[in-house]
Amino acid sequence: MSLVKIAGLHKHFGSNHVLKGIDLEIAEGEVVAIIGRSGSGKSTLLRTINGLESIDDGEIVVDGATLHAGDKDLRPLRLKVGMVFQQFNLFPHLTAGENVMLAPTVVKKTPRAEAMEIARKMMAKVGLAEKFDSYPDQLSGGQQQRVAIARALAMNPRVLLCDEITSALDPELVNEVLSVVKQLAAEGMTLVMVTHEMRFAREVGDKLVFMYQGRVHEAGPPRELFANPQTEELASFVGSIN
Amino acid sequence: MFTQFSTWDIVRNLLEGGKWTLALTLIAFVLGGIAGLLVLFARIAGSRLLQTASKAYIEVFQGTPLLMQLFIVFFGLSLAGVDVSPWVAAAIGLTLFTSAYLAEIWRGCVESVSKGQWEASASLAMRYTEQMRYVILPQALRIAIPPTVGFSVQVVKGTAVASIIGFAELTKTGSMLANATFQPFMVFGFVALGYFFLCYPLSLYAKHLERKFHVAR
Ligand SMILES: Nc1ncnc2c1ncn2[C@@H]1O[C@H](COP(=O)(O)OP(=O)(O)O)[C@@H](O)[C@H]1O
Ligand SMILES: [Mg+2]
Repeated sequence: MSLVKIAGLHKHFGSNHVLKGIDLEIAEGEVVAIIGRSGSGKSTLLRTINGLESIDDGEIVVDGATLHAGDKDLRPLRLKVGMVFQQFNLFPHLTAGENVMLAPTVVKKTPRAEAMEIARKMMAKVGLAEKFDSYPDQLSGGQQQRVAIARALAMNPRVLLCDEITSALDPELVNEVLSVVKQLAAEGMTLVMVTHEMRFAREVGDKLVFMYQGRVHEAGPPRELFANPQTEELASFVGSIN
Repeated sequence: MFTQFSTWDIVRNLLEGGKWTLALTLIAFVLGGIAGLLVLFARIAGSRLLQTASKAYIEVFQGTPLLMQLFIVFFGLSLAGVDVSPWVAAAIGLTLFTSAYLAEIWRGCVESVSKGQWEASASLAMRYTEQMRYVILPQALRIAIPPTVGFSVQVVKGTAVASIIGFAELTKTGSMLANATFQPFMVFGFVALGYFFLCYPLSLYAKHLERKFHVAR
């Protein structure tokens, strides 16, 4: 049984047909890396999986929570799916610890003391236990992104979506974020990440998905796909970044 | 009967009028702020009807002179058989005016909170009201302080129109004194100075806040 099941997914922005029938299954504990050119629909796909975008056709099921075209209540999906953004999007008026505590207390009504405990645990997990009381603007980009990961994890999601989470970082800060992701993967977290870090995708990914013009053009084990692309488009994409 | 006015008499009377200018400003600002908050929530609400109604409200008050608004409140209410004093009419008129402008200023502040903040909080499964309460409004509030203080200067100056319906605030007191003393230049000089002393600290403070929040973000 797959944890995430996407079937016949279509999405339009006005007349722009962005996702043209996506089928994708993700097993529990699987690490999926999504690659593809800018504009191929990678972010849109990720955003539909936690209900940030509505869908026009098809179905998304995450651990029993379903989303169909026209559904208004997106919360069941969002409760199962965490998301980390390229631009961190920490809440600047709250400390790192408060960022992590907010959703558990507000959404899940977790008692403050318990939420604090969860937050401390998550901050420790991303290696920032000592930054609990710092404000986002006192942290480096890499540290902010790790807080964003901790914030998503505090809601105990079944799947974590990462949309180019190292793209906004200075090169020397990329690794501290990737190593947190690697550790999550090792702990069995189900991860779906859009990434430009091909080496990382090859090392950590269980499955590679190549998107091209709103479709899953090729998918399979990363090593095989990189070594032996079946389509010209993937071959040229891999060629263009190496 | 002819009374001699000393300079001190003039200043003393003007201070009395200035007190009413200050009182009118405070009332308009506090009540206008409360009403403005309601208009703001209507303006950014999910309901189409509330949005349209609040937008119309804002545009009516921004699109007509304050003086006309005051006339309409003052004469309109007496036409409707409600006898209001100039004081009450001025307070109502300025409150309405202030609420429309503050609602619009604050809407800009709410909208200037980045889309990423909405998305991050949505991805954490927060509802609209929770996003507003815990993520958007606290940030909008900080952004709103400098322009809000800046707008208070407009309210202080706006109170001068209340003189036309006979409310004895600073300007009205000034014109009465000018008629009585035949020294309009000196009297209105003092009047202008009075407004300046009320407004200048406010605009300085607004500038200071703007700089402070600019550095903070
Ligand atoms: N909110 C939006 N409104 C309109 N068009 C959008 C929106 N978001 C994305 N698009 C369009 O959808 C297409 C896919 O975008 P995106 O999913 O961001 O691609 P990628 O992440 O692969 O670069 C692009 O043509 C983009 O212009
Ligand atoms: Mg993208």
